[in-house]
Formats: sequence, structure tokens, C-alpha cells
Amino acid sequence: MSKAPPLVVDVQDLTIRFGSFVAVNRISFSVKQGEIFGFLGANGAGKTTTIRMLCGLLIPNEGEAYISGISIHQDVQAIKTKVGYMSQHFTLYNDLTVAENLAFAADLRKLEETALEKRKKELFQFVDFTYPEKILVKNLPGGVKQQISLATAILHDPDIIFLDEPTAGVAPLVRAKFWKLINKLARAGKTVFVTTHYLDEAEQCDRIALMRDGEIIALDTPKKLKQKTFPEPLLEIEPPLGASRSWMDKLKVDPKIAVIQAYGRRYHVLVKNGKEWKKISRKLPRDYLLRKIQPSLEDVFIRQVEGDPA
Amino acid sequence: MNQTIRGFIKKEFIQVFRDKRMLVLLFIAPIIQLTLFGYAISNEVRNIRLAVQFQPGDSMARHIEERALASGWFVPATGEGDPFVLVQSGRAEVVLVAPPKGLTTALRSGGGEIQVLLDATNMIRARGIEQYLQAIIWEVLAGEFPQQDLKPVLNINTRVLYNPAMKTSYFLVPGVMVVLMCLLTVIMTSMSIVREREIGTFETLVTAPVRNWEILLGKTLPFVILALVQVTLILIAAVLIFGLPMQSPLWKFYLAAFMFICTTVAIGTMISTMSRTQQQAMMGSFLFMFPGILLSGMMFPLENMPKAIMGIAYLNPLKYFLTLLRNILLKGGDDWVFWSNLGALALLAVVAMAFSFNRFKQTLN
Ligand SMILES: Nc1ncnc2c1ncn2[C@@H]1O[C@H](COP(=O)(O)OP(=O)(O)OP(=O)(O)O)[C@@H](O)[C@H]1O
Ligand SMILES: [Mg+2]
Repeated sequence: MSKAPPLVVDVQDLTIRFGSFVAVNRISFSVKQGEIFGFLGANGAGKTTTIRMLCGLLIPNEGEAYISGISIHQDVQAIKTKVGYMSQHFTLYNDLTVAENLAFAADLRKLEETALEKRKKELFQFVDFTYPEKILVKNLPGGVKQQISLATAILHDPDIIFLDEPTAGVAPLVRAKFWKLINKLARAGKTVFVTTHYLDEAEQCDRIALMRDGEIIALDTPKKLKQKTFPEPLLEIEPPLGASRSWMDKLKVDPKIAVIQAYGRRYHVLVKNGKEWKKISRKLPRDYLLRKIQPSLEDVFIRQVEGDPA
Repeated sequence: MNQTIRGFIKKEFIQVFRDKRMLVLLFIAPIIQLTLFGYAISNEVRNIRLAVQFQPGDSMARHIEERALASGWFVPATGEGDPFVLVQSGRAEVVLVAPPKGLTTALRSGGGEIQVLLDATNMIRARGIEQYLQAIIWEVLAGEFPQQDLKPVLNINTRVLYNPAMKTSYFLVPGVMVVLMCLLTVIMTSMSIVREREIGTFETLVTAPVRNWEILLGKTLPFVILALVQVTLILIAAVLIFGLPMQSPLWKFYLAAFMFICTTVAIGTMISTMSRTQQQAMMGSFLFMFPGILLSGMMFPLENMPKAIMGIAYLNPLKYFLTLLRNILLKGGDDWVFWSNLGALALLAVVAMAFSFNRFKQTLN
């Protein structure tokens, strides 16, 4: 086996308070090189705040974090050269052209002009930007603005890329395209740290961390998260078309044996006691379909973040 | 030059020059304001308020007054009394004082002097008034003494006074200049930095490995340059339109302007570190500028103010710049006044810069 990839983000007990409000509470995790690491959580969970601390834009009250081995308490400037950050908020200048925005970003990072021109070509190709570069940013459609935001964030070819809700509010097709870019970056060896509200996007991450009220309540690969959240088999019952509800409603099952929950026309059954459940399931009319299903991340999310659905 | 700072200057200039309203505000508005201040009073040399003071029975002096009023250029001034007071209070623009024994008697007995007190706060108008009045005097006298050349015996002693209440143009130029420079530098600087915070681009700035001083210098230097361009425009306009005398060498003017701009830009930066929104920055700027203008000596002399207020005035950069400009543009000369006020400005600039540098943070807390 090859050597394990190095940890490029290593966080220990990171805490930040705004006044008496604890926005991020003793979180710890680490991210390996080349990973797509997803951050999931409801509004106000503390995702943005965490990213900002890791980029040196906020100073944590407690805890430690190493980015590429550099402590955030030690040399923020060095960290800033290693990371690219695409903010959740739109941070391009609307009254400047695409070229002017990139030129200014290059000047901020003291990139030489020839290097900029070369990098610009690469990036335009990478994000598939086909407009003239002399177009004012405010005249671009939303999805293209996001592409340019990404291009600006990775202009200096950073090893670690923080993307804070990069696909918020863009069309599904554009979202899919954007995720192709994220995958391409990861294949090129970049570490991508991404937050999102979309669960289908989270499925594409190597690992995800679920955040609630400033704490990480679960962290694993999507597959393992599902297994861990639903250790018991998950079944689905599909009554025949036109079947009345009453039959299922009459089926009172002890929650110690199985938890049954309506899911539209269908029912999800979380089996707790397999032996007892077998007995009950035999009573099911023949035209009722019973099958084993995989929980979606949404099931996981609901169960983890919003408490037990049963 | 540092690439980051060069980048800032480029970016700010593009943004300013792309914004039509900003251009008007920067370069057209000041000239219009300056012109309006002066021209309203200076343009038409008519309705000149004239007072002629003479002994009863001095027919020649009365003749001159009647002739002047008949010309249509002059109107009688209201009030009587001390000619200086008449001019100072603005009730008369020109006062003609006949010799005590009467002009008629004086000329008959071989010579005399007419005193003319002239309000010359507005150069152009004052020159016009003087010429009209002289023409009328010589015309009347030539009618009375057709055979005699009176020029050698009559002395017209014109005393040029300015209006210390500063009601008119070129004495007003330093004041207008101070206010306009202050507006531009304080408001533009503070709003420009806060704007980056408000629209979120501040995050772009601080995500890059830039130093505090690079951001501060980058955000302020463009406005220092713009302000120097603007002050030049105002100066040219003042010289061309109002015949501003410009009594000192240019380097003195620019040294003073530069020092003042540094102070106000630093104050603008300071305000930006204390504001969250552009409105707050605007309010903060006015909160500084109102007392700044009131306590500059522009409108009322500071000497008459209570001690406590005088104390505050010593912290007022506008006061020093106004003194400097009056000295440089109108009077010329006094080295002590120049260097002491410049020194005071420099001190304020350093303090304001140190303060804003200290307060400025790259974090988003
Ligand atoms: N500068 C600040 N001062 C005070 N409170 C703050 C500050 N920044 C964030 N917060 C609070 O901290 C909490 C976490 O905010 P954060 O922006 O990190 O959430 P988030 O997970 O990114 O949410 P969203 O999905 O809406 O972007 C919120 O309750 C927010 O109001
Ligand atoms: Mg957020």
C-alpha cells in the first residue's frame, strides 16, 4: 500500500465566540490531501465561521488548526498563500471587467503579468469561460459569475481550496457542471473543502461533516454515515394503487420491533427486532410490495440534525 | 512601486473614472461651486452701493454724487457714519470722502485730495468700480474747470479694503478650497473602505497575503492623488476667474495641500474603521466636518470664542490649512506662519495615521 496522504487541514478543539454566543464549539477534524471534504449543516450552524478561521480571517478564541502544517496562530500570511477561498458572498467587483478583477487579484498576490496571462488562459479553459474577458462582471449570468469567482479564488494555484456554498442559488445544470470542476480539482491533487445545502452534492464528497449549532455531530464517508445512522435494515412498503390507508394505519407495531413512517404513498420501516418483524410482515397482503432500501443522505441528515424522525 | 499598491491605484482609478456621477462630483462640482460663490456677486458691475461724504454746501462733491447716481451704475448706500464701518459692514461698497474744507474750496485754493474707500474683496468688481468712479470725477471736474488741467493738483487716494466678513469671492477661495478638499478626502476615503466591507469585496482583499499598510496605502493613495488633481483644478479656476493673487511659490501651496490631504485621508480611514455601513461613514464624516468647518475660522474669527472651544480648534486640521492657504494665496510671505501651521498639520497627520493604522484589522470579527 502507498503511503497515506498527508493531512493538510488538522483542526483540534477549535472554538470561537461572538460575545457570549458560541458560534463554533470545540470542533476537531482533519482533511487529507486530495480529499473532497464536505461541510453540511443548517443555516447558522457555523460552517462559514469555521472556514473563515481556517483562512485566517477570524481569530478563534480557543483551539488550534494547522493548514499545511502551519498553525493559524503562527503565520496567517503563509497560510493565505497556500489556500484559495471562495466566499459564500459574491466578492467580485461588479463595476470591473473580468480581466480587471483577475488583474487586481493578481496584484494583491503579487503575481507577475506574464504568469497572470498564462494562468488566465488555463483557468478560462478550466471553467469553460467563453465570454470576452472585457465584459463587466455585472453583465454576466449568475452561474458564470460563480465560475469567475472560482477562477479568482484559485488564481494563485493553491493546494487547498475552500468553497463556501459555491452553488447556492444557481440552476441545477450549472451546479452539476460546477461539481465536475470540483472533481477535476481533486483529481489534480488539490484538497477541496466545500460547504453545501444540497444533499445530492454531499453524496459526491469523499467525507462529510455534519454540523449543528457549532458542533460536528457526525463525520464520515457518505456510505459509512448511512450505515452508522441506520444500523438496522431500512425497508419500504409500497401499497397497491387505490389501497386504503386504513390497513397500514391499523397495523400497530411496537416501536421496539419496528418504526413505521409514512413517506408519501409509501412507508419506511426501520426494523429493530428482525425476528418479531418477520412475524408481522407475513401478515402483509400479497399485493403490498416490501423491499429493502438504501437510506439517502437526506434520511441521515434528518435523523442526525433534526433528531430522530420516528 | 509595490505591485499591490499599484494594483489598488489602478483599480480605484478605473472605478472612479467609470462612474459618471463620481467624475462630476470630483471635477465639475468644485469648479461650479467655486464659481457660484464668487460670480453671483462679481459678474455684473451694477448697483454699486456708493456713499459720498462731504460738507454741506460743497457743490462739486454733490455734483459728483448726482452724476454717479445718474450714470445708472451706482445706487445710494444706506446709512451714514464712519466710512470704514460702512464698507466693513457691507452697506457701502465704495465711499468717497471729500476734503474737510470742501472739494470746491480745496481746488480753488490750489489742490486737494479725495479719499476713495473701496471694498475689494472681489477684484474684478473693485477694478470696475474704481474706473467708473474716476471717469465720473474727472468728467465733472472738467466741466467745472474747462480751462485748467486738474490732474496735478487733485489727488485721488484710493484705499482698498477687504471685507473681513468674507462675503465675496477671492477671499473666500481658501475657505472653499478647504471645504471641498475635506469633502473629497474624508467622505471618499471613509466610504470607499466601508463600501468594500459592505459589498463583501473586503473579504477578497484580506484573503490575499497582504500587509495592513499595503491595504491602507492602497486604499488611500488614489484619493491623495485625486485630491491633488482637484486642488490644482480649483487653484487654476481661482486664478483665472477671480484673479487670485497667488502670493507664494507653488511648492508652498502643494506642500500645505499634501499635508492637509494626508491628515484628512487618515481621518477618513479612521472613520471607516468605526463604521459598518456607508451611511455610517457618511454620518461620521459630517460629524467631523461640521465642527471642523465651524471651528476653522472660516466664518467667525476664532479669537472671540470661549477658551474651551479654542482648545478644540487647536486639534482642527481645517484651521491650520485655512491659515496656510490665506497666508500662501492672499498674503504671501510669513515664514513663521507657514512652517508652524505646516508643522501642526504634520503632527495631526501622523497622529491620525497612527490611530487608523492601529485600529485597522484584517479580520472580519
Ligand atoms: N461576526 C459575527 N458576529 C456575531 N455573530 C456572528 C458573526 N459571524 C457569524 N455569526 C453567527 O454565528 C453563527 C454561525 O454563522 P455562520 O455564518 O458560520 O453559519 P453558516 O453555517 O455558514 O450558515 P449559512 O448556511 O447560513 O451560511 C450564526 O448564528 C451567525 O449569526
Ligand atoms: Mg455560511
